[in-house]
Amino acid sequence: MFGLKRNGKNGKNDEKTVANVRVGKPQTKPSAPSHTAGVKRGNARGNFDKEQGLKAVGNGGGARATARRSTGINAEARNPIDPRMPNLPPA
Amino acid sequence: MSTVSEQDLQSGKGTRLVEMAWDPITRIIGNLGIYTKIDFAERKVVECKSTSSMFRGYSVFMRGKDPRDAHFITSRICGICGDNHATCSVYAQNMAYGIKTPILGEMIFNLGEAAEYMFDHAIFQDNLVFVDFCERMVKETNPGVLDRAEKSPAPHAEAHGYRTIADIMRALNPFTGAIYREALQMSRLTREMFCLMEGRHVHPSTLYPGGVGTVPTPQLFTDYLVRLIKFIDFAKKLVPLNDDIFDFFYEALPGYEMVGNRRILLGCWGAFQNPEVVDYSYERMTDWGRAMYVTPGVVVDGELITTDLVEINLGIRIMLGNSYYEDWTNEETFVTHDPLGNPVDKRHPWNQTTIPKPQKRNLPEGPYSWVMSPRWYNKRTGDFLPLDTGGGPLARLWATALAGLVDTPYVKSTGKSVTITLPRTASSGEMQLEWKVPKWANTLERDRARAYFIAYAAGMAMKFVEDALRRLRGGDVRVFQDFDVPKEAIGCGFHEAVRGVLSHHLVIRDRKIANYHPYPPTPWNASPRDHMGQPGPYEDAVQGLPIFEENGQEGFKGIDIMRTVRSFDPCLPCGVHMYVGDGKVIEQHHSPMLGFGK
Repeated sequence: MFGLKRNGKNGKNDEKTVANVRVGKPQTKPSAPSHTAGVKRGNARGNFDKEQGLKAVGNGGGARATARRSTGINAEARNPIDPRMPNLPPA
Repeated sequence: MSTVSEQDLQSGKGTRLVEMAWDPITRIIGNLGIYTKIDFAERKVVECKSTSSMFRGYSVFMRGKDPRDAHFITSRICGICGDNHATCSVYAQNMAYGIKTPILGEMIFNLGEAAEYMFDHAIFQDNLVFVDFCERMVKETNPGVLDRAEKSPAPHAEAHGYRTIADIMRALNPFTGAIYREALQMSRLTREMFCLMEGRHVHPSTLYPGGVGTVPTPQLFTDYLVRLIKFIDFAKKLVPLNDDIFDFFYEALPGYEMVGNRRILLGCWGAFQNPEVVDYSYERMTDWGRAMYVTPGVVVDGELITTDLVEINLGIRIMLGNSYYEDWTNEETFVTHDPLGNPVDKRHPWNQTTIPKPQKRNLPEGPYSWVMSPRWYNKRTGDFLPLDTGGGPLARLWATALAGLVDTPYVKSTGKSVTITLPRTASSGEMQLEWKVPKWANTLERDRARAYFIAYAAGMAMKFVEDALRRLRGGDVRVFQDFDVPKEAIGCGFHEAVRGVLSHHLVIRDRKIANYHPYPPTPWNASPRDHMGQPGPYEDAVQGLPIFEENGQEGFKGIDIMRTVRSFDPCLPCGVHMYVGDGKVIEQHHSPMLGFGK
């Protein structure tokens, strides 16, 4: 239905050789999924700071969580009762 | 199925040589052919050539791709150790992007890789290697040895429960043996441990440069720990059982130490990063390399000559000679000097351009394999050494033992051995094991080291899970570091795949991959003769091998040759090779088809 037949016998020869390997006409660029306008990069610097419920602490690259990491429903009421306790909300 | 073809040859000296081939070899991963010439009168293998009949071309098609995809793509190199590739690719990307994984994330990487070693070594040893040592096989190849095994008590019977060596051999019988079946159940357990940490086996879904997507919770680590303790129960039976069987073979067949023996030339690229020390910078690679919990090193003739990852990196050379490739001396040089200013050779993976040259195999004169010939340049002597990994565990244990750097509650290096303490479990108390540096790098020592490394990985996993729980309970939940892909960069990752040394070398230009060369252990082990005529490790280990099999030329199984090849744990991963004859184009349709079909 949406087929694309490539057959050297049918006229236009769109094959070439790359590194001794016979290849056909490329249908897309190798980096198309990542170099598409409007698609945000999840790894980009600054994204960690925008994360809800996570706050970097110290210089050792650690971070503490709050209940807001797990829920947006009345998150303030779901933290540990003592602020010294480790806050380990569910996944 | 292995096939054996025979052809009598008259050698120049008048003795008769029989040409025998095993192609493809069973109970390994992928396409490997071993072609030998055997002198049955002298009971010796005179010549051996190792060939692989498969090429995929990762180094060709990854060019131009986004480097952030590298670990997902390279993971598909292998269907059993793909996660090792993903991990190593992440290490290379971390270096290129100038980032490090947060400490808790690094612990998750280590826990996943420890589970992988436990999974893969146990299933390979108990379900694939031990078929060559089981009662049914030994009955067919060495009936005299089986008779002796029936009368030989097992020295560690109280640890594993088998009274005689023959009882052990019966437990190893495929499908019916108790150890064979228990190993399959344990393989599920260890695979679950892996999936807890890395999302999916064998192609991890939660590993990324800069961290993991695994959410750290107390339950994540306690689920892992529960399975680990159950596995350690099994490991404590396995190591003494392996010792009993291999020591018996030495005793029953004097001279068996020469089977698979080759010069001690071992390479280990290090595993298990120390989360507090590693920062993935090339400038500090010497320091964080030595802080790894499996010490990187090169062992030559029994002596540890270096533990410096920078020196190890700069010494890698990719030779040709009998491989189906064109040389790249006239191609682009991507990296002239490393970040420390040291010159980088044209034959280094950073500067390699892969140009396949498909052709008919020519065994007598070459080329005869798709595998290249990696060698390590020893600057002290000027030699290009055909290092091997000893199957993986042998090189790891040997380098770590001699380095004397690893010192943890469960695993310690003494300078001449490695001690492993496994905790109390359901059916046995605390057990201390000691792997001592052996006299030979031969078939049985490679296999023995695999059992000990299972215990090593289990001991390290105990430390990692305790450290991770302590950190998590302190409130730290960070497992990911954000980053931007630089316009131009280079990176290299060093890791230990299950079977040994693994390196990924990456060059980024214009935020895309300009060059990428992964070097898993099997190119090192399975390499053909290089242009200087040096045989690769498989070839070297099989050549000169004495034959102990009691069968003559009729009914010859080649069990000693097969035990030797399998001791290296070959992994020439199965590739899908779409060869359909004289250039016939395969019909191609785009998806989605929405169910309407053709």
